[in-house]
Amino acid sequence: MKGTAKKLSYRTKRKINGLIFAAPFLMGFVAFFLMPLVNTVYYSFNKVGVGDRGGMTFQWVGLQNYVDLFTAEVTTTSQTMARLFTEQNLHMLLSVPLIVVFSLFMALLANQKFRGRAIVRLLFFLPIILGIDVVVEMLAMTTGVESLDAESSLLSGSYVTLFMVRVLNVPRRILYPIMTYVENIFELISQAGVQTLVYLTALQSISPSLYEVAKMEGATAYETFWKVTIPSIIHITLFVVIYTVVDLFLRSPIAEEAYAFAFTQSKIGVGSALSVVYIFNVILVLGIVMLLLGKVVKKNAK
Amino acid sequence: MQNRNTETENSASLALYLFRNKAKKGLVKFFTMVLILGLCFTILYPILRLVPIVFSSVEELGNPNVIWLPLESSTVSFRAAVRFIMPEGIMTMVKSVFYAAGIMIIQVFFSAMTGYALARVEFPGRKLVFGMVILVFLLPRQSLLLAQYIYFNHFDVLGIMNLFTEAGEVNLINNPLVLVLLAVFGFGVSQSLFIFLFSQFFKNIPKELEEAALIDGCGFYRTYFKIMIPNAVPIISTVGILSFVWNYGDTYYTNYFNPGGTYMSTILSSTFSSANKEYIMNAVQTWFEIPLVPDMAFDAVKQAAVLIFLIPLLVVYLIGQRRLVENMENSGLVG
Repeated sequence: MKGTAKKLSYRTKRKINGLIFAAPFLMGFVAFFLMPLVNTVYYSFNKVGVGDRGGMTFQWVGLQNYVDLFTAEVTTTSQTMARLFTEQNLHMLLSVPLIVVFSLFMALLANQKFRGRAIVRLLFFLPIILGIDVVVEMLAMTTGVESLDAESSLLSGSYVTLFMVRVLNVPRRILYPIMTYVENIFELISQAGVQTLVYLTALQSISPSLYEVAKMEGATAYETFWKVTIPSIIHITLFVVIYTVVDLFLRSPIAEEAYAFAFTQSKIGVGSALSVVYIFNVILVLGIVMLLLGKVVKKNAK
Repeated sequence: MQNRNTETENSASLALYLFRNKAKKGLVKFFTMVLILGLCFTILYPILRLVPIVFSSVEELGNPNVIWLPLESSTVSFRAAVRFIMPEGIMTMVKSVFYAAGIMIIQVFFSAMTGYALARVEFPGRKLVFGMVILVFLLPRQSLLLAQYIYFNHFDVLGIMNLFTEAGEVNLINNPLVLVLLAVFGFGVSQSLFIFLFSQFFKNIPKELEEAALIDGCGFYRTYFKIMIPNAVPIISTVGILSFVWNYGDTYYTNYFNPGGTYMSTILSSTFSSANKEYIMNAVQTWFEIPLVPDMAFDAVKQAAVLIFLIPLLVVYLIGQRRLVENMENSGLVG
């Protein structure tokens, strides 16, 4: 007994060392994630106040905070919560496919062989820097934007739009949201930096012999793209999509709303309820994404 | 005679075929180049657009005749921007850079350790821990902001603080230590992503390396520091670049947990909020004795400030980007 305690086997030692390596994260998980998570859920069922001696007081109110959140409360910009969430999710629905396809497109272009490729790549990944929240926010103009937009906006008043509406009869309802995205192309690019990087590396890791075989068999460029390129990068697409969804949720205004509830209106309970609804929203969206994409990935993996 | 005729016909059609093929290829190449140039322009546009604004003299701002080049160049906007965002002169930038670099080193060190354990060591509950990393990555950090804020406001670990303070808790909000603690325990900026990247990388390192080290008598720690870390340079530099950029530009952790600190990112976002417009314009007016300050001066100073803010990031990016793609390729994420 004494011997085994003193001289641990190599495997046990290794396991213990592994645990030591993972320990900081585990402690952090409990302290900075699990406890706040439990507290958030707890606060959301309580009316939280400040006690006489500076501590916090709790009064159980059940689901009242949630009911208030969607009936009585409004955001700092006087919108209802239901609207905030609808807009957030609609924005995701439109943005995620656009960003993913766009980053793949950029990666495909950057993967071509041409002169000056180094410079182009240098520029293509610049969005990793220019896409930082504070930079995007600060680069925006605050004066003269409205008047400029009305007069000489890039596209809404352009011949292209007029042609599409008048001649091709494309409904405005469909055209305008798309045009808004085209106009805000920088916003789109600024959110695609990391995704482009991931796609480009995935493209470069495809074995060149696959393309050679396709060429020998007489496949056209179009066929090669769908039969070789896409199946080779489909598994990384799942990662890119999830990363995009998470990134978009990170940029959403809901955090500021929760903070405003708690510290400018001292309604910690309502703010926590908002956080809990938010968490469920994220889980729901990610669940749907994984369910849909997981099938596609599996099909292509075979 | 007939034979010769078909021969010339053949060579003619061959020439036509080759010409068509070449033309097609040329066209495709031409369109690709146009697309690439267009995209490059679009990426650079927000920066290029600033040139006539930030370099223009303040009185000339808003002149409708100016499109790309300012009529009279001046550095007033830059001088004003420096006074706003660098209250301690160049030291403000140096401090911010050191802060970002320091957090980056902590993040890389601890993420690499966790990633290695997750990838290479069969410790009990490994899958569970891996699930935790994914869970932290998936849930947006803001959803826990309130509880984390309150938690740091009344910071206490298992009653230990009773030994040090009378109240039995310390207020860590506005203490830079919070940011260090978060990075050490794996909850800094995007740290779960970094842990994930590290574990994917270590998974792909051949097992023989470790076995050879074991036979040569290396212990766990020596194997890790002498064999694994030197082999992990690609992923370390990738994570390092991302971590530096994101920490330098971070306004979330710094703003909520250390609002009193002098970080250029938070100074930038708080000084140039639209509520401060009047104040900024008045200050520019008095500092540089300009009789009439147009509205656009606010944008000019603000964007000059962004350009100054971006300098360290651009330097790091220019040094690091060439290796970024190669590094990611070796990172195991896409294998």
